[in-house]
Amino acid sequence: MPKVIVNDIEVEADPKDNCILAARKAGVEIPHYCWHEALSVVASCRMCLVEVGEKKPDGSVVMGPKLVPGCQTPIKEGTIIKTDTPKVKTSQALTLELLLLNHPLDCSICDQAGECYLQDYTYKFGKAQSRLDEPKIQRDDKYHIGDQIALFTDRCVMCTRCVRFTREISGTAELQVVARGSHEEIDVFPEKPCNNKLAGNVVDLCPVGALCSKDFLYKKRVWWLKHAESVCTGCSTGCSIYVDQNEDKVYRLRPRANPLAQGHFMCDEGRFGFKYIADERRLTHPRLSSSVSIPKEARGSSQGLGDLSFTDPWIEAIKVTRNKIKEAIKTDARGFVAVLSPFMTVEEAYLLASWLKQLDQRVRLVLGPVPMVGSDDMYPKGPKGEPPEAGKVKFTIRAEKAPNRLGVEAILRHFEGEVVSVAQVAAKADATAWYFVGGYQHGWVNEVIDRGVGKPSLLIVQDLFPSPLSERADIVLPSGSFAERDGTYVNHSGLAQAATAAVRSPGSARPDGRILMELTERKGLFNATSIRKEIGGIVRGLSALKIGDLGENGVKLNAPAKELANA
Amino acid sequence: MSELSENAKKVITDHLGRYPSKQAVTLPALHVVQEERGCVSNRAMQEIAEILELSPAQIHDTMSFYGFFRTEKDPLGKVRIWICRSLPCMLRGGEELLAELCDRWGIQPGETTADGKITLELAECLGACDGAPCMLVNDELSLCMTADQVENQVRGMP
Amino acid sequence: MSDQTFEPVLLRRWGKPDSQSLESYKADGGYKALQKALSMSNTEVIDVVKASGLRGRGGAGFPTGLKWTFLPKDVTGPIYLCINGDESEPGTFNNRVLIEEDPHQVLEGIVISSYATRATTAYFYLRYEYGRCYRALKKAIDEMYANNLLGKNILGSEYSLDIYLHRGACAYICGEETGLIESLEGKRAWPRIKPPFPAIEGAFRRPTVVNNVETMACIPHIVERGAEWFMSMGVPKDPNNPRDAGSYGPKLYCISGHVNKPGLVELPMGVTARELIDKHAGGVWKGRKAKAVVPGGISMGFMTEKELDTPLDFNGPGRVGCLGLGTAAVIVIDDHTSMVDVLYNACRFFAHESCGQCTPCREGTAWSTKILERIRDGRGKLSDIDLLMEIASSIGTIPGSTICGLADGAAWPMKNAITKFRGEFEEYIKSGRKSESRQLAGAH
Repeated sequence: MPKVIVNDIEVEADPKDNCILAARKAGVEIPHYCWHEALSVVASCRMCLVEVGEKKPDGSVVMGPKLVPGCQTPIKEGTIIKTDTPKVKTSQALTLELLLLNHPLDCSICDQAGECYLQDYTYKFGKAQSRLDEPKIQRDDKYHIGDQIALFTDRCVMCTRCVRFTREISGTAELQVVARGSHEEIDVFPEKPCNNKLAGNVVDLCPVGALCSKDFLYKKRVWWLKHAESVCTGCSTGCSIYVDQNEDKVYRLRPRANPLAQGHFMCDEGRFGFKYIADERRLTHPRLSSSVSIPKEARGSSQGLGDLSFTDPWIEAIKVTRNKIKEAIKTDARGFVAVLSPFMTVEEAYLLASWLKQLDQRVRLVLGPVPMVGSDDMYPKGPKGEPPEAGKVKFTIRAEKAPNRLGVEAILRHFEGEVVSVAQVAAKADATAWYFVGGYQHGWVNEVIDRGVGKPSLLIVQDLFPSPLSERADIVLPSGSFAERDGTYVNHSGLAQAATAAVRSPGSARPDGRILMELTERKGLFNATSIRKEIGGIVRGLSALKIGDLGENGVKLNAPAKELANA
Repeated sequence: MSELSENAKKVITDHLGRYPSKQAVTLPALHVVQEERGCVSNRAMQEIAEILELSPAQIHDTMSFYGFFRTEKDPLGKVRIWICRSLPCMLRGGEELLAELCDRWGIQPGETTADGKITLELAECLGACDGAPCMLVNDELSLCMTADQVENQVRGMP
Repeated sequence: MSDQTFEPVLLRRWGKPDSQSLESYKADGGYKALQKALSMSNTEVIDVVKASGLRGRGGAGFPTGLKWTFLPKDVTGPIYLCINGDESEPGTFNNRVLIEEDPHQVLEGIVISSYATRATTAYFYLRYEYGRCYRALKKAIDEMYANNLLGKNILGSEYSLDIYLHRGACAYICGEETGLIESLEGKRAWPRIKPPFPAIEGAFRRPTVVNNVETMACIPHIVERGAEWFMSMGVPKDPNNPRDAGSYGPKLYCISGHVNKPGLVELPMGVTARELIDKHAGGVWKGRKAKAVVPGGISMGFMTEKELDTPLDFNGPGRVGCLGLGTAAVIVIDDHTSMVDVLYNACRFFAHESCGQCTPCREGTAWSTKILERIRDGRGKLSDIDLLMEIASSIGTIPGSTICGLADGAAWPMKNAITKFRGEFEEYIKSGRKSESRQLAGAH
C-alpha cells in the first residue's frame, strides 16, 4: 500500500485512490463538486485544487509548481498532498466566490439547506462577502425536468454530475447541458422528461439545491430528519438506504453507498415506493374473531390476562394466538402450516420457525408467495433501450420484488429440510390450520391463495393490510413495515444486511419481531443482534451471522447465492 | 413523413463511413439540415438522434454549444450575415458598422428583418482582419465593409 | 533582423493565376516532396522534421517532430491525424490565406505528416466561416483522389490515406486540440483533461496527432529542402537557455488594426513588431503613434510602444511580459484608442468563447466583462482594477485552475493592460466618463 502524506499526516492509501480519497483516509476533506466516485472524472469544478508533490526516497521533497485537481491526480508512494497552503486556500475561496456570483441567496427556502455543499464549503473554505457589484443573473425554474424532479436553474453550479449519471449509469441520456459558457443550463429535450427508473438519483447527486425531488419539496427542513440505516425491500437487489424520518413520519428514502450491495444508487420504485407504510388502510389493531376471543364475562384474573387487557389489546391477542396454535397443533400437527413471507427478516423467520418446530416437528413451514414482475431490468441502457452487455451492468432492478427470499429459504431449509411454496401446500388442500405472515404491500392475497386456504379450523394472519384472508381470519395481528423493523435481509447475491427501525408502527401495530418474541415466550425485548448471533450458531447456511454486528455494508454469507440455494 | 430530406439522409449516411463513431456525424448532420431548412427542428433532431443512436438531448446538447444552429423557434432569414466585432474589426469600425445596421434594419444582433430576408449576427473574429471591418455572408467573407456596401451586397442577393 | 532578399516559401504561389489547381501546383514542383517522403521510411521523415526544429504554428509552439514521437511505438489499429483549421484567434488569418491560395501545399504536408505518423485517416477540422477554403479544399481533395495522391496505394506506394473535411460551427475553443477532438466526435467542445494526451488517447480514443495548417504547409518544404535549409532561417536556440528549442523557419505574420496596410507577410522568424508595422504595413495609420500592440493574437496580451523592438520569435514576447508568440498575429492599437475599450473587447471575446466547463474561466471571464462594462459606463471603482488583476492571476493553466489554456489567454490581456496601462485605467475611473465606443454591452 503506498504511503502518502496529507498535510503532514502520513497515511496508507489504495494504489487506485485519487488525492481526494487518499486525503479522506487521513481525515482531510478536499472539497469537490463535479467528482463522484461512480461517475467519470471531468475535473471541471476546480473546487478540489490542491498542491501535490513527491517525497523522494532520499527524503527530499519536490512540490509541483501548479495547483492540480485532487480528483484527477493519482497517488503513489511518497505523494505529498497539501490542502492547507495559502495558495490552496486562496483558490478555494475564489472558486466559491465565483460559484456564488450568480447563485441566489435563497437558502431560507431551499430544500438543500442543511445538506448543501455550497453552504458547507463556503462555511469551511469560503468568505462572507461577494465583490459582485452587478445584479445576479436570474433564470427560470424548470418543473418539466421530470415527474419527480424540478430544477432550480440559478442554483446550479454546472458540475454535470446529473448529465453524466443519465449517460453513464442509467444510459438513458435525457439530461443535457444547453448553451455555452456562463449561459449554460441543464435541461431535457422538449417533451422528453427525465423519467427513467433511476432518475431520482440525480437529486442526490446534485451537490446543491438545483435538482430537487418534487415529492420531498418543501415538506421538511432536512435538519429535523433522523436517518436510519436500512435496506430497501422493493426487490432482491436490497439497496442500502437511509430512511429519513421525523416524528414517526418517513419523508424520504435515500441510497446509502454500499459497494457490496448496489453501489451508490437506488431505483425510483424503491425510492418513492415507501408511501404504503403510511396508508390509512393499514391494520392497526389486533383482532380476534368471536370464535376465538375470550368472552367478556370470562375475562378476569382467572384467565391470566390481567387488568391491562383493556388498555393493551395485545395481551389478549398474544395469549389467545399462542393457545390456539398449541391447540391446533395438538389436534393435527401435520395439518398446521405456517407461511413465511420473503418480506420477513431472517430473525423473524427464525423466531417463528424454531418455536413451531419445537412445539412439534411435524408442523409444516412453507415459503409465502415471491412476487415477480417482468424480468431483471439492467442499466446502463443502450441507445435503443437495450440492456448492457454482460460485465458492463452498473445497476439492476430485480424482477423478484421481495428483499429476503434467500434468508427465509435458509431458515426453511434448516427447519423444514426443504423449501416448499404455499401454492404447493394449498394444492394438496390438507392443511387444517394456517398461520400467514405477510408484510407485503396491499393486495397480495389473490384468489388462488384465498381458495387454497379453504376453510381451516384456525386461520391466523399477521400482516400490514386487510385482505380476503384477514377478513375471515380468526386472529389478525397487525405487523410492522420495513421502516418499523430491525433485522436482517439476504439479497440476491447472498449479502446479509442489517436494517434498523426508523419509525414506530401506526396505532397498535407492532413490528413482527416484537410480536414473535412475545408469542414464542422468549424473555426480554427483541434484539436483532443477539438473535443474529444465535442464528449464526444454529443455522448452517447463516453461520456468517455469528458476528452479530453486520456493519454498514453487511456480510456476505459464506456460500455464494447459488450454492446457498442448493445447500 | 420524415422531417429529414432524402438529401439530408444521404449526406448523413455517406458520413457514417468516415468516422469510427456514429456520434461524430452530429455536426455534418446538423449542418445539412440547417442549410436546407434554416433551422434544425425538434423532429429533425430526434430523427438525427435515431440514426446516430443517441438521445435527442445529446444532439441538442452539442447543437446548442455552437451557437451556430437555430431551433425551429428561431429560424434564419434567407441570408445570414455576420459582422465581426473582435478587436481588429472593432479598431476599424466593426462595432459601429454592426450598430448602424441594427439601426437601419430595426433589429438587434441575432434577429431577422421583418420581411424574413436577412438575419443579422454579431461574430467574434471571422479571420479576415486584413479587411476589417469584415462581414460573413452565409459562408463567404467580404472585406472592408461599410453599411452602404453591406446593403448593396445583400440587396443584390437572390 | 528581416532579410531584404527573403524569398517567400509558404506564400510563394500567392496571387498566381489558378494557384489552387493541382496542375499549377504540380507545375511549380508540387508533390515532389511527397514522392521523396514515400521513398523514405516514416521514421526518417520524422527525423528530418525533428532536425528542422519546426515548432507548431498554432500558438503553443510545441516542436512538431517531437510531438509525433509521442505516439506509441507498437500500435495496432488506427492512428489519426487531425488538422487544426479552426483558426479563430482574433487577429489571425494566415491559415485562411494559405488554404484559399494554395490548398495543395497544405494537403501535401498532410499526406506526408500522415505517412510519418502512420495515420490512415486525416480529419481536417475547418472553421465554418472559411467557406471559400472549404470549397478549395474539397476541390483539391477530389483532384488528389483522381490522381492517386490520396486513397489506396498513394503514388504506387504501400501507403493509403483518406482525408475528410469536417466543418466546425463557430466556436473558438475548437482550436484547443482536445476541444477539437471532442467537437470532431460530435460533442460539445469541452477540452479534455490531460493525461491522457492525444498522442496516447485522442480522437475516438485512438492515438492522435493534432497539427496546425501552417505547420502542415511547412512540411513539404522541409522534406524537400532539408532540415538545414529550414534552420538557416529564423532565430537560433538561446545558448543560455537549455529549454529553448529555437525559432526556425519562415513565419506568416498577420498585421491588422491601426496600420495603413493591414495584411499578411512571410518573413523569417524573429522580425520585430516595429519593423512589421513600419516596413511591411505602411506604418500606424493617420500619422498616429502606436499605443499598444498585440504580438500574436489577443490572448497573448499587449506590448507597449517602447517594447516594439522585441523580436517576434517564440521567446521575444514572453520577455516583455506577454504570454508568447501565439499565432504571430500583430494587432496595432493607436494612441487615440482607450485601453479600457480594448480590454473590454478582449474580455467580452473570452466570455463569449469560454466553453463553460471550468468554474474559474466560465465565471471569471463573465465577471471581468461585467466589471469592464460598468467601468465603461462611468461607474467604475478604483478597487475594480485590483479585482480584475486578482481574477486574471487566478484563472488558467498557469496557476493550474483550468483544464485548457483559454483562461490564460483571457487573463493575459487583463494582466498586461492593467500592469502596463494602469494609469489610464485609474484616470478613466476617476473621471467617471462613459465610453464613446459603440460596443454593445451584454451580448456575450
